[in-house]
This record gives sequence, C-alpha cells and structure tokens, in this order.
Amino acid sequence: MKKIAGILIKILILLPFGLSATRIYFLSTQLVPVEESEWFRRNVLSEFESRYGVKTVFIGTGYGEFQDRIISEFKSGRGKIDLTAGLSSDYEGISQAFLSLNDFFSSLGVDFVPSATKYIKMDGRIIYVPWLQTTYIFVCNKKALRYLPDGARIDDLSYEDLLNWSKNIEDATGRKLFGLPAGPRGLIHRFIHGYLYPSFTGAQIIHFDDSLGVKMWLFFQKLWAHTNPGSSVWEKMDTPLLSEEVWIAWDHISRLKNAIIERPDQFVIFPAPRGPAGRGILQVLVGLGITSYSDRKAEAMKLIKFLLSREIQKRMLEGTGFMPVISNVKFEEGGSPTALIYAGVSDQSRKSDLIVSFIPGGLGQRSGEFTKIYRDTFREVILKQKNPSRVLKIYGKRLKELYRETGARLPYPDYEIR
Amino acid sequence: MRSDEKIYLLLAPLVLYILFFFLSPFGSAFKLAFFNDSGKFTLDYIVKTIKDVRFYSALKYTVLFVVTIIPLQLVTAFVIALYITRRGSSWLMFIVSIPLAISDLAAGLIFLSVFSESGFLNSFLYSLGLIKRPIYFLSYQNTWFLFLAVVLAEHWRATSIVLLILVAGLQMIEKDFHEAARIFGAGFIKEIYFVTLPLLKPSIQSALIIRTIFAFQMFAVVLALAGDMIPVLSGEAFFWYSLYRNPHIASVYALIIILISVFFTFVYLRVMRQEL
Repeated sequence: MKKIAGILIKILILLPFGLSATRIYFLSTQLVPVEESEWFRRNVLSEFESRYGVKTVFIGTGYGEFQDRIISEFKSGRGKIDLTAGLSSDYEGISQAFLSLNDFFSSLGVDFVPSATKYIKMDGRIIYVPWLQTTYIFVCNKKALRYLPDGARIDDLSYEDLLNWSKNIEDATGRKLFGLPAGPRGLIHRFIHGYLYPSFTGAQIIHFDDSLGVKMWLFFQKLWAHTNPGSSVWEKMDTPLLSEEVWIAWDHISRLKNAIIERPDQFVIFPAPRGPAGRGILQVLVGLGITSYSDRKAEAMKLIKFLLSREIQKRMLEGTGFMPVISNVKFEEGGSPTALIYAGVSDQSRKSDLIVSFIPGGLGQRSGEFTKIYRDTFREVILKQKNPSRVLKIYGKRLKELYRETGARLPYPDYEIR
Repeated sequence: MRSDEKIYLLLAPLVLYILFFFLSPFGSAFKLAFFNDSGKFTLDYIVKTIKDVRFYSALKYTVLFVVTIIPLQLVTAFVIALYITRRGSSWLMFIVSIPLAISDLAAGLIFLSVFSESGFLNSFLYSLGLIKRPIYFLSYQNTWFLFLAVVLAEHWRATSIVLLILVAGLQMIEKDFHEAARIFGAGFIKEIYFVTLPLLKPSIQSALIIRTIFAFQMFAVVLALAGDMIPVLSGEAFFWYSLYRNPHIASVYALIIILISVFFTFVYLRVMRQEL
C-alpha cells in the first residue's frame, strides 16, 4: 500500500514535467475571443503539432495582464511562457524580458512587406518578428463615384478632395453621406491621431496644439459640416454603409468587412487621402516574441517559421481577417471579399507618400488617457464647435503631462522626428 | 437540530451569496478607489475624477434623468394600475409588461430604429408627405431631443416594473375601505387622495427605491441613443474601465453611484415612514 502511494505521489510530482517536455506555451493578446482562438488552435496549431510533434498551449490574455505576467515571470527568473504574440505597443516598456532576435530575423529569409518591418527595432534590438497586420480603410459606395470633384482620382485623393466630394454629394442629394464611427464605442480617436494628425502635421503628438494642429482641426470642422450627424452614435460603419445612410466611410477593417462580404460588388476600397504633410495611415502590427527565460527557444523559433509560411499567412487572412506581413500572397482572380480587402490594403501600402503611425504604447496603466485626450478634444472642437486653439491649449498641456509623468517613448513617426 | 439553528442554516446560502457577490466586489471597488497599485493609500483617483470635465455633466444628466423619469413613471404606472384593478383588464396588464422582458440595450436599439435617419418615424412622416427628406433626430446638435429620446425609451422600458408593484399593492387594499369612502360621499378624486394613496404608500415606497437605484445604473439606453453626447455616471464608470483602462477611476464612479443610491433610499424610507 505504501509503495503504491509512493509511486502515485511520484507520478503526480513528475506529471507536469513529463507533459511540458513537448509543449510550447504561447501567450497572446490577439485572437482572444473564443471562436477565434478555437479556430486558431484547430486550423493552425494542430497542424504544427502533427507536422513537428510539438504541442502548443495557446493562452489568450488582456493587454494589461500580458505585461504583468511577462514581467513577473521575468523577475522571478522562471516562467512558463515561451512564445508571445502582441501588438507593437504590448512590447513597449518590457523589452528586457525578450530575446534579441536580430540574427534569427536576418536568417529567416522571409520577404516581408516593407511597412511591416520599418519600425520593429527597439533600441537597436529586434524583439519581435512581424506576424500579422491590420489597419483601417476607406470604403465608398459605387454610387458616390460620379460625384467626385473634377480632376480628383479615387486612388489618389487629398483631404481637400474628400471634403469637396462630400459637399458635392450633399449638394446633389440633400443628404450628408460621409460617415465616421464617432459613437462612444467607435474608433474616431484612431482617425484623429493616426490619420488626420500625421497627414496634416506629419506626427501624431508633437504638433498636437501648435499652428499645424489648429489648422488640422479647422479643416476637420469643415469636413464635419458635411458628415452625417448620425456619426456621433455609430460604433462601426458596416451597418450604415449597408443601409446607405452613408456612401463614404472610414473604419477598422474588422468593423467594415461585413459590408464588403455581404455586397462585394457595391463597394470600393480606396487609399487613405493625403494631407499637406503626407498620407497618414495607422498600422496595427502583431509581432511574435520569445521570452529570454524560455526553455524551448528552438521549438518557438520553429513555430515562428511555420506561422510565417505563405500557406498559414493566407489561411489567417481567410479565417481571422488579419493581413499577411509577407509579400506576394496570391489569391485567385476575382476572389473572396477578404482578398478584395487585402488588395485594397496592399495598394495603399505601395503609396510613396505614406506616413505610417503606430498606436502609442508604453503608457502602461495610463494608456487610456491618451485615447481620452483625443476624444475629449474631438467632443469640444467638433461636436460642441468650440474654438480649436483654446481647446487645444488645455488638452495639449494634459498630453505633455502624460508623457512627462510616464516617461514613455513617443510612438512612430514622432519618435523618428525628435 | 434546534429550530434557531435551522434558521441560520437556512439563511446561510443567502449570507454566502451576499458576501460573495456583493460585499467582496464592493470591498475591491473600495480598495481600487483609495489605494494605488503598490497598496498605498491615495486620494489621487478621487481628485482626478472630480477634476474631469465629464464628471459634472455626468452627475448633472444622471440627476436630471432621475428627476424627470421617475415621477413620470410613477404617474403613468398609477393611472394604468388603477384602470387595470378597476376594470380587471388582464390583457392590458400583459401588453404593458412586455418591455419588462427586454434588456435595456435592446430597448435603446428599438428606439434607435424609431428615430434614426432611415427609422420608422422618418418613414412615417415621409409617407404622410410631411417631410421631403429624412430629419436627423438623434443629432449631436439637438441635445434636448437626445435627452427626450432617452426619457421616452426609459419610460417605455421600465414603467412596467413600477406598474407590477402598484397593481399588487392596489389588489391588497380591501374593498371595504372604498365602499366606506363612497358611503360617506367621497368622489373619485377624494377617494384616491384619502384612501387609495395612503394605503398604497408601502408599494410606492418600494417601487421608488427599486426604480431610483436602477435609474442611477441607467447606461445602455443612453449609450445607444445619445452616444457620447449625454454622459451619465455609470457610463463614465464603464468608459474608464473598458476604454481608458483605469479601474481605479471606474471604481470611484461606482462608489459615487452606490453612495447616491444609498442616500436616496434613506430619504425615501425617512420621508415615507409609516405612522403606526
């Protein structure tokens, strides 16, 4: 009896080690919703297991917990997590817990799209390899095309053209058919700091309250005069596009794609307009990192290579809507709506005057305040029509305070300019 | 087992439930509001909340909603309840209680489909030839209309709970009182004022307490109809938690809501005290 108990205890103690012998622990802030993570486990990770005999435990987590967990594991010197997937901003401020992947990156031999690799170095180190990307797009109903201002081309609009376009439509139809997701759960703040600010001032933060910033807001007030007032409650633009409450809209891909999937023939995806400083776009990059304390670095690298294969990149687009980061992913002619979106994004990423911005990171617990500053400014200047220079003075001070107090690094492109 | 032991045993699940689902979240909200991440006591979060421009308008609008919606609901519910108990109309009762089963977000969306640009109201006016093109009812420019829309939606959605309580209360009043009042020559108004209302006081009190507490939690209807334009306390708590990712300030808002609710409950209990 004693003997059996002893064996049982030994098994119980050794069991976790036995199991972890062939396992990679994969912590991710992306693909967190149950249906997405299940899809990912079933369609991607299980194939990796059957091909290489390495099991992967995929753990979805929130943004805050991601950093907390990695830091506490790093400090204690031993942890479970081998591989991570997160936005570039998730890695901001915790780079010391990750392995330098400079050599691995150059040995990969993967043909990345240029915009994906532009900003991956943090203090000279590459700590994550680009894996997936997503962005925001402009979409219009084909009915709107005949109202384009004279001489304007849909694939090369300026913000001035966009304004005149919306004005033409309103003059002809009596309706305001340009729309933005400015409802409480909409992403209007991304439009402001990732599209308008870089296009008009060349940066997201630096020119927040100077004369360039004021100019941008004065333009936005003019554009808003031709924007559908329903915008102030919209959370995402697929519904208003489908119900034709708007003909032209901007939003995140995942919040627009239903419209394109439902009626691919009715909509056109067009590149972001350009402003006086360039063509601002916001890029969301998901990167794969390996923790410095991992025992399974070689297996983790193998998984990274697998996830960057053409086949998986393509499958991820179809299954989750995330765009590939590698060039020349081919789709059949006139293919699926997701392929249409991908084509639209690829066209945009080839523009020569692009100003690529990243979502700011490194603000830790106070990252929400960044969002709040841009949204509050929007409410005051646009919805309440207050004088921009007065409002900007107040919120500019808060923005500077936020960066001074947290000591966070400025996001791209601001970081480069400084 | 002695009978008082049995009582404790029977009460135990409830006590555990309250401890687990009410007191422990309350405790952690309190901790989040007054202690920073390294466990030090701080008033920073309170100061930050109070200094935020949105705080005052959230407080203002929440109180405005409470003082507009609740009296309105009480009167409507009382009139319908009187009609139902006098005429015994059960189908009316059934119809009026339908909104009870609808969640607040759904109610907000229903009214959104009434007032939106391509909504029922616009199509109705258009079909009558009264308008040439749709009107933007729910525009950020008409804050008063947004307010009105929220009041309408809330009135439609949450009056039935008041109604249910009042109907139950009315049915408990014995017929003898009414008959006595009539024999002594009381008219309809006098009967209601001197007989029905005083006897209905306990029901009115519980209806008021329940409705006021719920009104301070009102959130999804406002969100769906007025978006960002009309801030309310619980909405701010939600935004600070999910959008601005600051659980500390969200907890300050939660505590403020609890404090105000407790205050109102106390006032109701005091003002409407039963004379024995």
